[in-house]
Amino acid sequence: MKLITAIIKPFKLEDVKEALTAFGITGMTVSEASGFGRQGGHTEVYRGAEYTVDLIPKIRLEVLVDGKEADKVIDVIVKAASTGSIGDGKVWSSPVDNIVRVRTGERGTDAI
Amino acid sequence: MGTRERRDRSNKFDNDLRVSFLRFATEHLVKPEAVSLTAVGGYGRGELSPGSDLDLLILHDGSEKPKILADFVNAFLYPLWNKKIALDHSVRTRSETREMAQEDIRVALGLLDLRIIAGSADLASAVGADAIENWRKDQSNHLPKLRKIIQDRESRSGELAFLLEPDLKEARGGLRDINSLRAIEMSGVVPVSLARVAESEALLSNVRDVLHGENSKSRDQLLLTEQDRVAASMGFRDADALMLEVAKAARAVDYLMDLTWHRIDSQVGRSWFKKNKQQNIDKGLVILNSEVTIEENYDISEDSGIGLRAAATAAQRGLPLSIDACVALAEKFSPLPEPWPKPVLDDLVSLIGAGAPMVRVFEALDQDGLIEKWIPEWSHMRFLPQRNVLHRHTVDRHMLETAVHAAALTRTVKRADILLVSALFHDIGKGFPDKDHSEYGEVLILPLAKRLGFNEQDSQQIALLVREHLLLSAVATRRDLDDPATIAFVVEKIKDPETLQLLHALSISDGEATGKSGWSDWKAGLVSNLVAKCLTVMAGVKPVSQPDLLPIEPISEEISLRILGDLTNREEIEIEIVAKDQTGLLSAVAGIMTISRFNVRSAKTRTTNEIAVMRWIVELDTNATMPTAEKLTDQLKKALSGELDLGRKIDERIDNYRKYPGIPTPPPVVLAANDLATNATIIEVRMHDRPGILFSVARAISRFGVDIKSAIVSTLGAEAFDTLYVTDLSGQPLSGERAQLLASKVENILITHL
Repeated sequence: MKLITAIIKPFKLEDVKEALTAFGITGMTVSEASGFGRQGGHTEVYRGAEYTVDLIPKIRLEVLVDGKEADKVIDVIVKAASTGSIGDGKVWSSPVDNIVRVRTGERGTDAI
Repeated sequence: MGTRERRDRSNKFDNDLRVSFLRFATEHLVKPEAVSLTAVGGYGRGELSPGSDLDLLILHDGSEKPKILADFVNAFLYPLWNKKIALDHSVRTRSETREMAQEDIRVALGLLDLRIIAGSADLASAVGADAIENWRKDQSNHLPKLRKIIQDRESRSGELAFLLEPDLKEARGGLRDINSLRAIEMSGVVPVSLARVAESEALLSNVRDVLHGENSKSRDQLLLTEQDRVAASMGFRDADALMLEVAKAARAVDYLMDLTWHRIDSQVGRSWFKKNKQQNIDKGLVILNSEVTIEENYDISEDSGIGLRAAATAAQRGLPLSIDACVALAEKFSPLPEPWPKPVLDDLVSLIGAGAPMVRVFEALDQDGLIEKWIPEWSHMRFLPQRNVLHRHTVDRHMLETAVHAAALTRTVKRADILLVSALFHDIGKGFPDKDHSEYGEVLILPLAKRLGFNEQDSQQIALLVREHLLLSAVATRRDLDDPATIAFVVEKIKDPETLQLLHALSISDGEATGKSGWSDWKAGLVSNLVAKCLTVMAGVKPVSQPDLLPIEPISEEISLRILGDLTNREEIEIEIVAKDQTGLLSAVAGIMTISRFNVRSAKTRTTNEIAVMRWIVELDTNATMPTAEKLTDQLKKALSGELDLGRKIDERIDNYRKYPGIPTPPPVVLAANDLATNATIIEVRMHDRPGILFSVARAISRFGVDIKSAIVSTLGAEAFDTLYVTDLSGQPLSGERAQLLASKVENILITHL
């Protein structure tokens, strides 16, 4: 089992959600995040004063999947989140030992 | 579920408890006839909801040995605990009970409902009589404590009528408040018309019983997920219909509570044998007992503007509007002319712009139906629930909260009045099925804005803000902000920077009022980024253009001052001044206006070819006498020659003004920019209105060695917005650095003079 985490541009969330739903993924966790990578911050001029924006708003999306499907799901996210420009984000997967569905107590892949 | 079921349940418990209590008493005690079992709280009133605890008080006369008494109590209670019956018990003598009631108001309140179930009737009735006697005799001690409990409860649980997921018991207007009213009635301080809330109590209790079902561990909060089930089993059309009835019930309780405290306060005031001196503050308005109210014998029916004037005055001073005033206004209601006159619109804007103190005043007006009479559109939104996970409040309260947040953002826009009115009505299109609330909001707001007295252009701007109030947050979170097409899309809809700034402020207030689930720093950052990008494309904010005032004929005298128009209308006096330009002219004129107790509504001044033309629209303070043009001219000459020290007189006036209770307002903001079109530097002042602003600003500018070429002064409700065009002594705009220095100097003066 894998946890796939994606950091994407906020406006790409709808596209990614749709793509994942079409692929058959029914659940995901979405949170508001901020950060920067190679894109860095940028400089703004506001009321004459210049200031640097360090952190750029992003969306963090997490999906639990069966290990066999992980690569396919990553592809789906990358394809949907891509604009081709800098700051499109990153997707990574990490191994997961166990999953329990709270309501039923099901464990492992049954709980995905 | 209903009152009968609650009584049946209570009776059934009574029977069971009576039998076992008497049996164990006979088995264990030496004097079984000297104890009694009583019920207190809700059970004491003989009504028991499925989820309620049994509140039991076991009374004894102190003659039994403690060990024997303890054995008896355990023998009686263990079977109940084993049956998992939730109960709260205490074992006391008569004097212990009296002491506890003195110390703990909650005990005192519970004892008011004491009822005997079994055992010694004499003992129980003696304790019951003690409780009521103590409550009545010591009311001056108990009532303030009770009030504190009620207030704490409200700040913890909010208001039942306006929350989408309210707590039926704890929230303001809920079941606990009804019990408190009952306790106040029993104190005998003032009559409390409990009949007015009988229906509310029945409804709220029934809803609570259905909510609990047979599950005794349930909470009293009516969650969105439960509302459909409760509505269906109570026979309501849908959850909205249920919540509307719940809100109405809570409002009846709320109103009676307000009225009751108001009566208690006036009672306390009277008993001191000192009639509080009333203070006259505006035409027909006085402050009495720390409330704004209408002067006795004032003819309300002849003055349709007095309602909003009273509301604006109360809100701006952070005082409540008296219930008597609201009742009188509703009884002798006189409709406003349409469109509303300018002073009335100003009062509406001052009311909305007061921030948090506005909510109570607005509620007071609403409870007596005045808001609906002035703005019939409001009735559709009253208590309107919204089934949306993001929102916390009903539609009407959400809009009030939005206005409260908007009041803090008035410095970020040029038109505080437009921002505040748009905030108060931004969701006016909600509650019409099959209609998009933003689009339909535009349809409704346009005629309303015109009726309120906004001109065509302003009304169109308000309508645009209402229609597009979700635009910025929707675009910022869902579209690519780096794509020029996104920016073009917004700029196409919101064409000018002024409107964009207004929309930005409206989006922030709407988001903040919605709550954490709808608004975060993260989202605010995205929206600000979008706005900044759009403003860059729009090439900045344009200043107000210079006024068009030219001297009609060459002047013969140094100064000519004329009062134009109707001299009897104290609310709108027009004064024209034509004078040879000289340093300090504007501050002198502004100073004369202040010491003559004119409140400046608007002013335009322009200097061309060494001649200054000024046109002022002022309002005379309610307690001041009207000066003649000759006197004003004379004073102005003396002020210019230095014979009259304006500074000292104005400081006195500001000091006087400071003595009034005030409300927190955002600090003044002064901005500087160079305007290429007019070849001048623009100084823009945005602040809360108070006497002498223009005098302070103009004096600071003159002392900086700068000429004031023209000025536009406007008052939007309780906010002042002044634009001054200045040049250096050679007629050139100031350097960027010097302009910024001037702006911060003026800002400092205004902040320290507050």
